Amino acid sequence: MTGTSSLDGRVVVVTGAAGGLGREICRNLAVAGARVALVDLPGAPDLAEVAESVGGLVCSADISDSDQVRSALRRAEEGLGPVNGLVANAAFMAMGALTDQAPEVWWRQIEINLIGTFHTCQAAAQRMVRQGGGAIVVVASEWGVTGWPLATAYAASKGGLVALTKTLGREMMPHGVRVNALAPGVIDTPQLEVDALAAGVSRVEIRERYAEAIPLGRVATPAEIAGSVRFLLSDESSGIVGQVLQPNGGTTRARA
Amino acid sequence: MVSGAASGIGSATTALLQARGWRIAGLDLAASSADLSLQADVSERAAVEAAIALAEAELGPIRLLVTCAGHYEMTPFMEIGAAQLDRMMRVHVGGLFNCCRAVVPRMRSRGSGQIVAISSELGIAGGDGDAHYAAAKGAVIALVRSLAVEVVGAGIQVNSVAPGPCDTPLLGPDSPWRDPSYLRTLPLGRLVTPQEVAQSVLFLVESGSFFVGDVISPNAGAAI
Repeated sequence: MTGTSSLDGRVVVVTGAAGGLGREICRNLAVAGARVALVDLPGAPDLAEVAESVGGLVCSADISDSDQVRSALRRAEEGLGPVNGLVANAAFMAMGALTDQAPEVWWRQIEINLIGTFHTCQAAAQRMVRQGGGAIVVVASEWGVTGWPLATAYAASKGGLVALTKTLGREMMPHGVRVNALAPGVIDTPQLEVDALAAGVSRVEIRERYAEAIPLGRVATPAEIAGSVRFLLSDESSGIVGQVLQPNGGTTRARA
Repeated sequence: MVSGAASGIGSATTALLQARGWRIAGLDLAASSADLSLQADVSERAAVEAAIALAEAELGPIRLLVTCAGHYEMTPFMEIGAAQLDRMMRVHVGGLFNCCRAVVPRMRSRGSGQIVAISSELGIAGGDGDAHYAAAKGAVIALVRSLAVEVVGAGIQVNSVAPGPCDTPLLGPDSPWRDPSYLRTLPLGRLVTPQEVAQSVLFLVESGSFFVGDVISPNAGAAI
């Protein structure tokens, strides 16, 4: 994972920055020279510590509220300078059977993952267009391409992000904003505990179950997914527009 | 080992990998600026096997294979002759097959290796007047995805880069792909460069450790 993409001096907003993947993305981008604005829920555990460790700026927001998103972007710009990049990574998942899941729980996942990402992309793109360009990376999911049992809302929201990315790739590139997505397979983050809980097994057990179904024989590390984010933000991917990269260890079911 | 190393994407990939410290054996009909320039036709299986054996003898174990060798011609479907079809398949599908047949046993015995096959956006989306080229590149993608899951357990990672319309010698000066009226239809508004394609190859090589059988398409938004 010795990516070489340089993001020297660029200002990148990362949502879901305190999460397992989010904090690794912040670290990776900071190492590549980016100045990072960390967006997560007010009071998200470790957010201040992660920000301090990457020399970044905390800009708390609930991304499902467009006003909060706008003010977070404004704080990022005031504190760090014009925003050149966005990593729309924030997500919420609640596993549950179709027949049991409460509509509020279903809706909350759509509200954060899909609508929240829309708010974030819109607020960031408006600034990027004004200043002549930028790059957006949307973190979707393998499950948004394949679907997954007990993840109806999560999969639907992530599938929505794939279509959103394709649309924004077409719509925003002529304005200088390059939009792409990642649809990662299972990543070794604390999120695995959510799945483990739903399946009634331990985190180690659920990780082994996932690994068995992946041709590569293991789940992804946060660092290798963060490396893909960095590539898509950097000029090294300048010919890539509206695409969905799928680091999934070879799961042949997934084709965006 | 880079096939098609003498021009276009192969040449750009060779230069970028060399800048990153790789020593490159270039395989091409023409002489290339690789560290070791081998001249052979990728559609000839024995010649490919011999070239790869020579490359290992001269430079050491092949850790990476990038297959860029190819040719392009636009021909209406009803005018594609048997010889044209045969050559298109022999160079693109046969060439990839031959190169992989030669390196996979070597990589397998060492328990590691990487292969990146250059395919094409036309192999994903198809194209008007491109039936035999698109069919050959589509077959390359299917071969990549199949081989990828077959050899990943042996420590070999196989992926593809599917460039969109690219500014290489494969497109003549009068090519319709260079026409401003076509370029305006691309979200990026221009052809991709061989260097941009090479950057995607480099990404897979250096940071693509969780990619298996994937197809990354730097295509200027031609196929989304």
